[in-house]
Amino acid sequence: MIKKYIVKKETSLEFRNNTSLFLITPTMSVLIIVFPILSENRFRVDNDLFLIVELLFLILFTTLFSIRNPLDEQRLIKELNFGSIQKKDYFYSKTVAELGIFYPQIILLLILFSGFTNTSLNSSLIYICLSVLFFCINAIMINLFFQVFTSFNNRFVQFTIIVPIYIGFAILIAPLWLGVNQEISNIYLLMYLGITLIIYAFTNFYLRSSK
Amino acid sequence: MSSFFESSNLKLGYGNQIVVDDLKISLKLSKNYEIIGKNGSGKTTLLMCISNNFIGNTFNSDIQRSKNSLMEIGSIPSLIPKLSLIENINYFLFNEKKQESTINKILNKYELNQFRADLIEDFSSGMIKRSEIAIADLKNPDVLCIDEPKVYLDENGIQLLLELLKKREYEGNSTILSSQESIISLASIERTIDLND
Repeated sequence: MIKKYIVKKETSLEFRNNTSLFLITPTMSVLIIVFPILSENRFRVDNDLFLIVELLFLILFTTLFSIRNPLDEQRLIKELNFGSIQKKDYFYSKTVAELGIFYPQIILLLILFSGFTNTSLNSSLIYICLSVLFFCINAIMINLFFQVFTSFNNRFVQFTIIVPIYIGFAILIAPLWLGVNQEISNIYLLMYLGITLIIYAFTNFYLRSSK
Repeated sequence: MSSFFESSNLKLGYGNQIVVDDLKISLKLSKNYEIIGKNGSGKTTLLMCISNNFIGNTFNSDIQRSKNSLMEIGSIPSLIPKLSLIENINYFLFNEKKQESTINKILNKYELNQFRADLIEDFSSGMIKRSEIAIADLKNPDVLCIDEPKVYLDENGIQLLLELLKKREYEGNSTILSSQESIISLASIERTIDLND
Protein backbone atom coordinates (compact mmCIF):
# COMPACT_ATOMS: atom_id res chain seq x y z
CA MET A 1 0.00 0.00 0.00
CA ILE A 2 2.81 2.43 0.90
CA LYS A 3 5.36 2.35 -1.91
CA LYS A 4 8.90 3.44 -1.15
CA TYR A 5 9.53 4.78 -4.66
CA ILE A 6 6.50 7.13 -4.48
CA VAL A 7 7.53 8.41 -1.03
CA LYS A 8 11.07 8.95 -2.32
CA LYS A 9 9.84 10.77 -5.42
CA GLU A 10 7.46 13.01 -3.45
CA THR A 11 10.18 13.87 -0.94
CA SER A 12 12.70 14.73 -3.68
CA LEU A 13 10.09 16.89 -5.42
CA GLU A 14 9.47 18.73 -2.16
CA PHE A 15 13.14 19.64 -1.82
CA ARG A 16 13.22 20.87 -5.42
CA ASN A 17 9.95 22.79 -5.15
CA ASN A 18 10.96 26.30 -4.17
CA THR A 19 7.45 27.34 -3.12
CA SER A 20 7.29 25.00 -0.15
CA LEU A 21 10.02 24.40 2.40
CA PHE A 22 12.11 27.34 1.32
CA LEU A 23 9.28 29.86 1.29
CA ILE A 24 6.60 28.90 3.80
CA THR A 25 8.83 27.97 6.73
CA PRO A 26 10.99 31.12 6.72
CA THR A 27 7.88 33.30 6.22
CA MET A 28 6.18 31.69 9.19
CA SER A 29 9.34 31.98 11.28
CA VAL A 30 9.51 35.72 10.58
CA LEU A 31 5.83 36.08 11.51
CA ILE A 32 6.49 34.24 14.75
CA ILE A 33 9.39 36.52 15.62
CA VAL A 34 7.48 39.68 14.73
CA PHE A 35 4.13 38.66 16.24
CA PRO A 36 4.75 39.32 19.97
CA ILE A 37 6.28 42.72 19.27
CA LEU A 38 3.33 43.70 17.07
CA SER A 39 0.64 42.38 19.40
CA GLU A 40 1.91 43.38 22.83
CA ASN A 41 5.04 45.40 22.16
CA ARG A 42 7.17 42.92 24.11
CA PHE A 43 8.57 39.40 23.90
CA ARG A 44 6.02 38.02 26.34
CA VAL A 45 2.46 37.14 25.43
CA ASP A 46 -0.36 36.66 27.93
CA ASN A 47 -1.33 33.02 28.43
CA ASP A 48 -4.96 33.46 27.33
CA LEU A 49 -3.85 35.03 24.05
CA PHE A 50 -1.02 32.55 23.54
CA LEU A 51 -3.11 29.42 23.01
CA ILE A 52 -5.56 30.95 20.53
CA VAL A 53 -2.75 32.55 18.52
CA GLU A 54 -0.76 29.31 18.50
CA LEU A 55 -3.83 27.51 17.11
CA LEU A 56 -4.23 30.26 14.50
CA PHE A 57 -0.59 29.82 13.51
CA LEU A 58 -1.16 26.07 13.23
CA ILE A 59 -4.19 26.59 10.96
CA LEU A 60 -2.41 29.23 8.87
CA PHE A 61 0.71 27.12 8.43
CA THR A 62 -1.31 24.00 7.54
CA THR A 63 -3.36 25.98 5.01
CA LEU A 64 -0.24 27.43 3.40
CA PHE A 65 1.26 23.96 3.28
CA SER A 66 -1.93 22.50 1.72
CA ILE A 67 -2.29 25.06 -1.03
CA ARG A 68 1.41 25.28 -1.90
CA ASN A 69 1.28 22.96 -4.88
CA PRO A 70 -2.22 21.95 -6.11
CA LEU A 71 -2.37 18.68 -8.05
CA ASP A 72 -3.32 18.88 -11.71
CA GLU A 73 -5.94 16.14 -12.17
CA GLN A 74 -5.10 15.46 -15.83
CA ARG A 75 -1.36 15.30 -15.18
CA LEU A 76 -1.85 13.10 -12.14
CA ILE A 77 -4.01 10.60 -14.05
CA LYS A 78 -1.46 10.52 -16.88
CA GLU A 79 1.41 10.00 -14.46
CA LEU A 80 -0.36 7.16 -12.63
CA ASN A 81 -1.35 5.41 -15.87
CA PHE A 82 2.09 5.89 -17.43
CA GLY A 83 3.71 4.17 -14.46
CA SER A 84 0.83 1.67 -13.88
CA ILE A 85 0.52 3.06 -10.36
CA GLN A 86 -2.66 2.43 -8.42
CA LYS A 87 -4.50 5.43 -7.03
CA LYS A 88 -4.63 4.01 -3.50
CA ASP A 89 -0.87 3.36 -3.48
CA TYR A 90 -0.26 6.92 -4.63
CA PHE A 91 -2.67 8.34 -2.05
CA TYR A 92 -1.20 6.55 0.97
CA SER A 93 2.41 6.99 -0.13
CA LYS A 94 1.84 10.69 -0.69
CA THR A 95 0.19 10.94 2.74
CA VAL A 96 3.30 9.38 4.33
CA ALA A 97 5.63 11.65 2.32
CA GLU A 98 3.65 14.78 3.28
CA LEU A 99 3.61 13.70 6.92
CA GLY A 100 7.39 13.26 6.86
CA ILE A 101 7.79 16.75 5.45
CA PHE A 102 5.10 18.52 7.45
CA TYR A 103 5.29 17.03 10.95
CA PRO A 104 8.90 18.00 11.79
CA GLN A 105 8.29 21.49 10.42
CA ILE A 106 5.19 22.08 12.51
CA ILE A 107 6.91 20.82 15.68
CA LEU A 108 9.82 23.17 14.92
CA LEU A 109 7.42 26.09 14.43
CA LEU A 110 5.65 25.35 17.73
CA ILE A 111 9.02 25.32 19.50
CA LEU A 112 9.99 28.61 17.81
CA PHE A 113 6.66 30.18 18.73
CA SER A 114 6.99 29.11 22.36
CA GLY A 115 10.56 30.35 22.46
CA PHE A 116 9.97 33.74 20.90
CA THR A 117 6.84 34.51 22.90
CA ASN A 118 8.48 33.27 26.10
CA THR A 119 5.38 31.21 26.89
CA SER A 120 4.66 27.48 26.96
CA LEU A 121 1.79 25.05 26.58
CA ASN A 122 0.46 23.55 29.82
CA SER A 123 0.61 20.00 28.63
CA SER A 124 3.19 17.23 28.51
CA LEU A 125 5.38 16.92 25.43
CA ILE A 126 3.94 13.53 24.51
CA TYR A 127 0.36 14.88 24.44
CA ILE A 128 1.43 17.85 22.32
CA CYS A 129 3.31 15.63 19.86
CA LEU A 130 0.46 13.09 19.59
CA SER A 131 -2.23 15.76 19.15
CA VAL A 132 -0.19 17.48 16.42
CA LEU A 133 0.45 14.10 14.75
CA PHE A 134 -3.29 13.36 14.58
CA PHE A 135 -3.95 16.90 13.35
CA CYS A 136 -1.32 16.49 10.59
CA ILE A 137 -2.60 13.09 9.41
CA ASN A 138 -6.20 14.33 9.24
CA ALA A 139 -5.30 17.61 7.53
CA ILE A 140 -3.12 15.86 4.92
CA MET A 141 -5.71 13.17 4.14
CA ILE A 142 -8.54 15.71 3.83
CA ASN A 143 -6.43 17.94 1.61
CA LEU A 144 -5.39 15.05 -0.66
CA PHE A 145 -8.96 13.79 -0.77
CA PHE A 146 -10.16 17.18 -2.01
CA GLN A 147 -7.43 17.33 -4.62
CA VAL A 148 -7.70 13.76 -5.91
CA PHE A 149 -11.46 13.15 -5.78
CA THR A 150 -13.09 16.53 -6.27
CA SER A 151 -12.84 19.37 -8.74
CA PHE A 152 -11.94 21.77 -5.90
CA ASN A 153 -8.31 21.75 -6.89
CA ASN A 154 -7.62 25.45 -7.30
CA ARG A 155 -6.09 27.43 -4.47
CA PHE A 156 -9.06 29.67 -3.74
CA VAL A 157 -11.64 26.88 -3.45
CA GLN A 158 -9.18 24.78 -1.49
CA PHE A 159 -8.64 27.66 0.93
CA THR A 160 -12.37 28.37 1.36
CA ILE A 161 -13.39 24.77 1.96
CA ILE A 162 -10.40 23.40 3.81
CA VAL A 163 -9.90 26.16 6.40
CA PRO A 164 -13.21 25.51 8.27
CA ILE A 165 -12.30 21.81 8.42
CA TYR A 166 -8.87 22.66 9.83
CA ILE A 167 -10.52 24.95 12.39
CA GLY A 168 -12.59 21.96 13.52
CA PHE A 169 -9.46 19.83 13.89
CA ALA A 170 -7.65 22.62 15.73
CA ILE A 171 -10.51 23.14 18.22
CA LEU A 172 -10.09 19.52 19.30
CA ILE A 173 -6.47 20.23 20.11
CA ALA A 174 -7.27 23.19 22.38
CA PRO A 175 -8.24 21.20 25.53
CA LEU A 176 -5.12 19.03 25.16
CA TRP A 177 -2.88 22.09 24.98
CA LEU A 178 -4.69 23.86 27.81
CA GLY A 179 -3.45 21.17 30.17
CA VAL A 180 -6.66 19.53 31.38
CA ASN A 181 -6.15 16.52 33.65
CA GLN A 182 -4.70 13.29 32.29
CA GLU A 183 -7.99 11.33 32.08
CA ILE A 184 -9.69 14.01 30.01
CA SER A 185 -6.57 14.37 27.84
CA ASN A 186 -6.67 10.61 27.17
CA ILE A 187 -10.35 10.86 26.21
CA TYR A 188 -9.59 13.70 23.79
CA LEU A 189 -6.69 11.76 22.27
CA LEU A 190 -8.92 8.72 21.82
CA MET A 191 -11.55 10.95 20.21
CA TYR A 192 -8.89 12.28 17.85
CA LEU A 193 -7.77 8.74 17.04
CA GLY A 194 -11.40 7.86 16.28
CA ILE A 195 -11.76 10.84 13.94
CA THR A 196 -8.51 9.83 12.19
CA LEU A 197 -9.84 6.29 11.70
CA ILE A 198 -13.15 7.61 10.34
CA ILE A 199 -11.34 9.84 7.82
CA TYR A 200 -9.05 6.93 6.87
CA ALA A 201 -12.08 4.65 6.36
CA PHE A 202 -13.86 7.34 4.32
CA THR A 203 -10.90 7.92 1.97
CA ASN A 204 -10.25 4.17 1.78
CA PHE A 205 -13.86 3.61 0.67
CA TYR A 206 -13.46 6.20 -2.10
CA LEU A 207 -10.07 4.81 -3.15
CA ARG A 208 -11.39 1.28 -3.45
CA SER A 209 -14.53 2.30 -5.30
CA SER A 210 -12.76 4.67 -7.74
CA LYS A 211 -12.05 3.25 -11.21
CA MET B 1 -9.00 -13.07 -29.37
CA SER B 2 -9.79 -10.95 -26.32
CA SER B 3 -10.60 -7.23 -26.49
CA PHE B 4 -8.78 -4.73 -24.32
CA PHE B 5 -11.32 -1.99 -25.02
CA GLU B 6 -14.90 -2.35 -26.14
CA SER B 7 -17.93 -0.10 -26.44
CA SER B 8 -21.12 -0.39 -28.44
CA ASN B 9 -22.22 3.24 -28.06
CA LEU B 10 -19.19 5.34 -27.20
CA LYS B 11 -20.06 8.98 -26.63
CA LEU B 12 -17.41 11.41 -25.37
CA GLY B 13 -17.36 15.12 -24.73
CA TYR B 14 -16.58 18.01 -22.44
CA GLY B 15 -19.52 19.40 -20.47
CA ASN B 16 -22.49 19.21 -22.83
CA GLN B 17 -20.35 19.44 -25.96
CA ILE B 18 -20.18 16.07 -27.73
CA VAL B 19 -16.89 15.27 -29.48
CA VAL B 20 -17.27 11.57 -30.30
CA ASP B 21 -20.84 10.36 -30.88
CA ASP B 22 -22.21 6.81 -30.95
CA LEU B 23 -19.02 4.99 -31.97
CA LYS B 24 -19.00 1.21 -31.99
CA ILE B 25 -15.51 0.07 -31.17
CA SER B 26 -13.82 -3.18 -30.21
CA LEU B 27 -10.03 -3.23 -29.95
CA LYS B 28 -8.33 -6.59 -29.77
CA LEU B 29 -4.96 -7.52 -28.33
CA SER B 30 -2.06 -8.14 -30.75
CA LYS B 31 -3.74 -5.98 -33.41
CA ASN B 32 -2.80 -2.48 -34.54
CA TYR B 33 -5.19 0.41 -35.00
CA GLU B 34 -5.10 3.87 -36.47
CA ILE B 35 -7.28 6.85 -35.62
CA ILE B 36 -7.38 9.57 -38.26
CA GLY B 37 -9.29 12.82 -38.46
CA LYS B 38 -8.95 16.53 -38.89
CA ASN B 39 -8.39 19.03 -36.05
CA GLY B 40 -11.18 18.90 -33.46
CA SER B 41 -12.62 15.63 -34.74
CA GLY B 42 -11.93 13.91 -31.39
CA LYS B 43 -8.79 11.84 -32.11
CA THR B 44 -7.00 12.82 -28.91
CA THR B 45 -10.22 12.49 -26.87
CA LEU B 46 -10.77 8.96 -28.19
CA LEU B 47 -7.13 7.98 -27.63
CA MET B 48 -7.25 9.36 -24.09
CA CYS B 49 -10.44 7.41 -23.42
CA ILE B 50 -8.86 4.19 -24.72
CA SER B 51 -5.78 4.76 -22.57
CA ASN B 52 -7.93 5.57 -19.50
CA ASN B 53 -6.64 9.15 -19.28
CA PHE B 54 -9.89 10.87 -20.21
CA ILE B 55 -11.51 13.06 -17.54
CA GLY B 56 -14.36 14.58 -19.56
CA ASN B 57 -17.95 13.40 -19.94
CA THR B 58 -18.61 9.81 -21.12
CA PHE B 59 -22.43 10.25 -21.13
CA ASN B 60 -22.86 6.86 -19.43
CA SER B 61 -21.38 5.02 -22.40
CA ASP B 62 -21.00 1.30 -21.94
CA ILE B 63 -17.21 0.87 -21.76
CA GLN B 64 -15.44 -2.40 -21.05
CA ARG B 65 -11.71 -2.66 -20.51
CA SER B 66 -9.34 -5.48 -19.75
CA LYS B 67 -6.51 -5.22 -17.22
CA ASN B 68 -3.68 -5.31 -19.76
CA SER B 69 -0.75 -2.95 -19.37
CA LEU B 70 -1.29 0.20 -21.37
CA MET B 71 0.77 3.33 -22.01
CA GLU B 72 -0.05 6.58 -23.73
CA ILE B 73 2.39 9.02 -25.28
CA GLY B 74 0.19 12.02 -25.82
CA SER B 75 0.02 15.76 -26.17
CA ILE B 76 0.53 16.27 -22.41
CA PRO B 77 3.88 14.81 -21.27
CA SER B 78 3.66 12.16 -18.57
CA LEU B 79 7.20 12.67 -17.27
CA ILE B 80 7.76 14.61 -14.06
CA PRO B 81 9.49 17.92 -14.87
CA LYS B 82 11.33 18.29 -11.55
CA LEU B 83 12.97 14.86 -11.78
CA SER B 84 15.93 13.91 -13.94
CA LEU B 85 15.56 11.46 -16.82
CA ILE B 86 17.07 8.56 -14.89
CA GLU B 87 14.89 9.35 -11.84
CA ASN B 88 11.84 9.33 -14.13
CA ILE B 89 12.91 5.98 -15.60
CA ASN B 90 13.41 4.46 -12.15
CA TYR B 91 10.07 5.87 -10.98
CA PHE B 92 8.01 4.67 -13.94
CA LEU B 93 9.75 1.29 -14.17
CA PHE B 94 9.70 0.56 -10.43
CA ASN B 95 8.26 -2.95 -10.81
CA GLU B 96 9.97 -3.91 -14.06
CA LYS B 97 13.28 -4.85 -12.37
CA LYS B 98 15.31 -3.65 -15.34
CA GLN B 99 19.06 -4.03 -15.13
CA GLU B 100 21.27 -0.98 -15.34
CA SER B 101 22.91 -2.38 -18.49
CA THR B 102 19.51 -2.69 -20.24
CA ILE B 103 18.62 0.89 -19.31
CA ASN B 104 22.00 2.11 -20.56
CA LYS B 105 21.57 0.20 -23.83
CA ILE B 106 18.17 1.79 -24.48
CA LEU B 107 19.41 5.25 -23.47
CA ASN B 108 22.32 4.88 -25.89
CA LYS B 109 19.96 3.70 -28.63
CA TYR B 110 17.82 6.81 -28.20
CA GLU B 111 20.91 9.02 -27.76
CA LEU B 112 19.80 10.06 -24.28
CA ASN B 113 22.60 8.70 -22.11
CA GLN B 114 24.42 12.02 -21.86
CA PHE B 115 21.20 13.69 -20.62
CA ARG B 116 20.32 11.06 -18.00
CA ALA B 117 21.08 13.33 -15.04
CA ASP B 118 19.36 16.40 -16.51
CA LEU B 119 15.97 17.59 -15.29
CA ILE B 120 13.04 16.98 -17.65
CA GLU B 121 11.98 20.64 -17.27
CA ASP B 122 15.16 21.57 -19.17
CA PHE B 123 14.34 19.22 -22.07
CA SER B 124 12.84 20.33 -25.38
CA SER B 125 9.48 18.87 -26.51
CA GLY B 126 11.31 16.54 -28.90
CA MET B 127 13.62 15.28 -26.17
CA ILE B 128 10.64 14.67 -23.85
CA LYS B 129 8.88 12.66 -26.55
CA ARG B 130 12.08 10.71 -27.27
CA SER B 131 12.41 9.97 -23.52
CA GLU B 132 8.81 8.77 -23.33
CA ILE B 133 9.37 6.49 -26.31
CA ALA B 134 12.53 5.12 -24.63
CA ILE B 135 10.53 4.38 -21.45
CA ALA B 136 7.82 2.69 -23.56
CA ASP B 137 10.56 0.60 -25.21
CA LEU B 138 11.88 -0.43 -21.79
CA LYS B 139 8.45 -1.13 -20.35
CA ASN B 140 7.05 -2.86 -23.44
CA PRO B 141 3.35 -2.58 -22.53
CA ASP B 142 0.64 -4.79 -24.11
CA VAL B 143 -0.92 -1.69 -25.67
CA LEU B 144 0.88 1.50 -26.67
CA CYS B 145 -1.13 4.56 -27.73
CA ILE B 146 0.70 7.38 -29.48
CA ASP B 147 -0.94 10.69 -30.30
CA GLU B 148 0.56 12.46 -33.34
CA PRO B 149 3.58 10.11 -33.48
CA LYS B 150 5.78 12.26 -35.70
CA VAL B 151 5.18 15.60 -33.99
CA TYR B 152 8.28 17.07 -32.26
CA LEU B 153 10.55 14.26 -33.49
CA ASP B 154 13.49 14.82 -35.83
CA GLU B 155 14.30 12.39 -38.66
CA ASN B 156 16.39 10.17 -36.42
CA GLY B 157 13.67 10.19 -33.76
CA ILE B 158 11.05 9.16 -36.32
CA GLN B 159 13.33 6.33 -37.49
CA LEU B 160 13.73 5.09 -33.90
CA LEU B 161 9.96 5.25 -33.40
CA LEU B 162 9.33 3.25 -36.58
CA GLU B 163 11.85 0.64 -35.40
CA LEU B 164 10.01 0.39 -32.09
CA LEU B 165 6.66 -0.01 -33.88
CA LYS B 166 8.09 -2.79 -36.06
CA LYS B 167 9.55 -4.54 -33.01
CA ARG B 168 6.19 -4.34 -31.21
CA GLU B 169 4.40 -5.69 -34.26
CA TYR B 170 6.86 -8.60 -34.44
CA GLU B 171 6.35 -9.36 -30.72
CA GLY B 172 2.56 -9.31 -31.12
CA ASN B 173 1.85 -6.21 -29.04
CA SER B 174 -0.86 -3.71 -29.92
CA THR B 175 -0.17 -0.17 -31.05
CA ILE B 176 -2.71 2.59 -31.63
CA LEU B 177 -1.62 5.63 -33.61
CA SER B 178 -3.60 8.82 -33.90
CA SER B 179 -2.83 11.48 -36.49
CA GLN B 180 -4.39 13.70 -39.15
CA GLU B 181 -3.58 11.27 -41.94
CA SER B 182 -2.46 7.69 -42.23
CA ILE B 183 1.22 7.29 -41.34
CA ILE B 184 1.72 3.92 -43.07
CA SER B 185 4.26 2.86 -40.50
CA LEU B 186 2.69 -0.44 -39.49
CA ALA B 187 2.59 -3.46 -41.81
CA SER B 188 -0.85 -4.58 -40.69
CA ILE B 189 -3.66 -2.32 -39.49
CA GLU B 190 -6.73 -4.14 -38.17
CA ARG B 191 -8.96 -1.07 -38.44
CA THR B 192 -8.62 2.58 -39.32
CA ILE B 193 -11.06 4.64 -37.29
CA ASP B 194 -11.80 7.64 -39.48
CA LEU B 195 -13.37 10.41 -37.39
CA ASN B 196 -13.90 12.60 -40.47
CA ASP B 197 -16.93 10.49 -41.39
